[in-house]
Amino acid sequence: MTSTGTRAAVAITKLQSMPSLFTRRALRTVVTICLLMSMRPGSGYGQTGKPERPPAGKRTTTSDDGNGLIDVQPSDLLKTPVTNNWTSYNGDYSGARHSGLTQITRANVGRLAAQWVFHPRTVSPLEVTPVVVAGVMFVTSANDAYALDAKTGKVLWHHIRAVSQGLVDDPAQHHNRGVAILGTRVYMETDNAHLLCLDARSGHLIWEVAFGTGNKNDGATSAPLIVKDKVVVGISGGDAGVRGFLAAFDAETGEEKWRFWTIPGPGEKGNESWPGDSYLHGGGATWMPGTYDPDLNTLYWGTGNPAPDFDGSVRPGDDLYTSCLLALDPDTGALKWYFQFSPHDLYDYDAVQTPVIVNARFKGQPRKLIVTANRNGFLYILDRTNGKFLFATPFMNTQNWAKAIDENGRPIPAGRTPDEKGVRVCPANGGATNWYSPSYDPSSHLFYFRSFEACAIIQSNIKPFEVGRTYYASGTRSVDEPAKAYINAFDLNTLDFAWRDLQIGRNKGWGGVMSTATGLVAYGDDANNFVILDGQTGKPLWHFHVGQLVHASPMSYAIDGKQYFAIAAGSDLFSFALP
Amino acid sequence: MWPRRVEALLVVAILFGCASRGVQAQSTNAERGAQRFMEYCAGCHGADGMGGDKAPALVSPSNSTHLSDSELFRIVHDGTKGGMPPFAQIGDANIRAVVEFLTRLRNNAPPTNASAEAAVPGDVDTGRTLYFGKAQCSACHLMQGKGGFIARNLTSYGRTRSAEEILHAITNPDTPLVPSSQVATVTTRTGQKLTGPLRNEDSFTLALQTEDGRYHLLSRSDVTDIHYSGHSLMPRDYRTRLSPKELNDIVSFLIIASRNPPPDKAEGR
Repeated sequence: MTSTGTRAAVAITKLQSMPSLFTRRALRTVVTICLLMSMRPGSGYGQTGKPERPPAGKRTTTSDDGNGLIDVQPSDLLKTPVTNNWTSYNGDYSGARHSGLTQITRANVGRLAAQWVFHPRTVSPLEVTPVVVAGVMFVTSANDAYALDAKTGKVLWHHIRAVSQGLVDDPAQHHNRGVAILGTRVYMETDNAHLLCLDARSGHLIWEVAFGTGNKNDGATSAPLIVKDKVVVGISGGDAGVRGFLAAFDAETGEEKWRFWTIPGPGEKGNESWPGDSYLHGGGATWMPGTYDPDLNTLYWGTGNPAPDFDGSVRPGDDLYTSCLLALDPDTGALKWYFQFSPHDLYDYDAVQTPVIVNARFKGQPRKLIVTANRNGFLYILDRTNGKFLFATPFMNTQNWAKAIDENGRPIPAGRTPDEKGVRVCPANGGATNWYSPSYDPSSHLFYFRSFEACAIIQSNIKPFEVGRTYYASGTRSVDEPAKAYINAFDLNTLDFAWRDLQIGRNKGWGGVMSTATGLVAYGDDANNFVILDGQTGKPLWHFHVGQLVHASPMSYAIDGKQYFAIAAGSDLFSFALP
Repeated sequence: MWPRRVEALLVVAILFGCASRGVQAQSTNAERGAQRFMEYCAGCHGADGMGGDKAPALVSPSNSTHLSDSELFRIVHDGTKGGMPPFAQIGDANIRAVVEFLTRLRNNAPPTNASAEAAVPGDVDTGRTLYFGKAQCSACHLMQGKGGFIARNLTSYGRTRSAEEILHAITNPDTPLVPSSQVATVTTRTGQKLTGPLRNEDSFTLALQTEDGRYHLLSRSDVTDIHYSGHSLMPRDYRTRLSPKELNDIVSFLIIASRNPPPDKAEGR
């Protein structure tokens, strides 16, 4: 401390001898900054790209009181359930998307009113879930990032970055699902698979890493996930023939720490599905945030479909590790176990739906579980300590691609192999559910999720991989049958549905769900409404017509004792609270 | 040529101080454009060009980024069918200045020929040392990922500015004053005094950022007094704190650093 104290003293002396042109306030400002700079360990001149932290023992708060001070510690990210702050895409690490806030209840939710609307203007529909820390909300729209006053929706800073040209498929739509936050920094992925580190207090770019493989079909749409001192990112482009991976970067420096390839290379287990260099285009994208169990020190992350989507003849066998849940060591990226929901998938059944961490009794025994509703039409319960299959049940009435799930959790295919003429497959390639978030209420043990009942004619033919093109190897046709959507409540105590709410509306909704400690469930319906239900009964309690289809999942936060719900709808972000 | 011109400018600056007439005389086209923008454009398009209730953003990727200067000129001159009124009455020179200012607002503006090719007036390495040392620029300004957060990021600042313009900005700060940089002192109902840049303000709320990075998000009803300093945090004595050579060195560092992309990371793996 001696040396830094001396430096500060010198700075003050020099400043005080300055001419009168220098006003007192400006003097005080510069001195204060000098003192702050000098006192912070590791923050000397030229080094302040690091997260700045007050000296040990002098830290004020955990930024959980709406005080505007953004300094998120790794321990802050362990809080579950989330309350005032919503610190990551899914809220907490469990992926339960369950808020511990209790101000808004069944009794008063009818008085909920719009507080503000934010219109970022760069992309539609928005797919972001905002992150809120200390009353400041962080939002992304295409490659732009914003900090907002979460009470008013007014912009505090805006980091502008032009969208990328020449992308393929989903990333070419420039969707982005939000930020991760650690210390005084926020992290986001760009449409062309760069990881940006921004100063959360200013929006200024601190560093940037291109994390793709150089394949021009690479892209990114997800929000990163912070685990301890690392930022974990996934890749999009599974329908465009990328080689999927998860990668972890040092949150301070941007240095790559590990990379796990979801398509094994030559000599690795599972490579037998990938003859020649086909592993370089095998898909298995990792395009939604995973979950993390700090007690087991395990990262859970879903992988997408194999590529090409509909032609399985070029990828014999199970096509590891596509359509899987991976359990990884977050420190090294080493694989602990995997569970494959749809071996040798032929129907675009990504398995990137949130793997929700649940501690509950299963058939009377307390267990550490993963609960997830899969795009293939089955809800699964796994033992998350070892990946052992415990339970599956279909949640789509018209499911026809699998005869059953066997005792090990492996589907028994019904033999519907796509060909040039096409086969009718249910669920359609869009899935019986999709990336829109599920939710889990630990007090009621109800697991909530949106499901979709639709079939498609899926066709296939042989097609080579091409840079700059999608790699479906043929396509799909819709069938002339009415589709249905449901919001579901699955009871982990009874292993049956508590209720299913049939959605009424002309659109295909893409709205995820969240739940609260007061038994509410919030989501966007199929008729451009933001809706809050009674989580016990499924009865709607309140709605607001946002006038645009919801392609996002809601969140909740609180400032100065006031609870808010926020939801992106169409090209706008809405916030609601009691009057 | 450049060093002599810059030295001459410095001599003028030192001899005449920062009297407003002197500042006016030295105003560049872009600075005039900034002033005209605040007068004619900011009311609808926002002070930062990011759009408002009546008009769209001018600097976001989906809007004017791809328009040429002549297209922008025509829009400002003639207005649009979408409802923007014509501004022919402010004169072609002012319109050109506004267009130049808009070009600089864009984050991905290409370097001008002047700054991309011209020699710089001082020593870049010495300038870097000054930037992160004696001159204390990095206490507030980020440069290629290093430095403070309270003031603007200078990483690409020198890409589109001449040495004279940068020198002028260092020695004559706040011409013009960017609204979101203006320092205000707010007194709250509880008697708390808060001083820092006013990041956002309207008839109902204030967002003030203190130097610890904290955002104070206040309702007008929580505020009993607000004093606008008329200045940003930028010190206003650099022409006396630093020698002409040191100023030239910093200017040179800002230009050269902006030509080079941030080391390694931005270029990918």
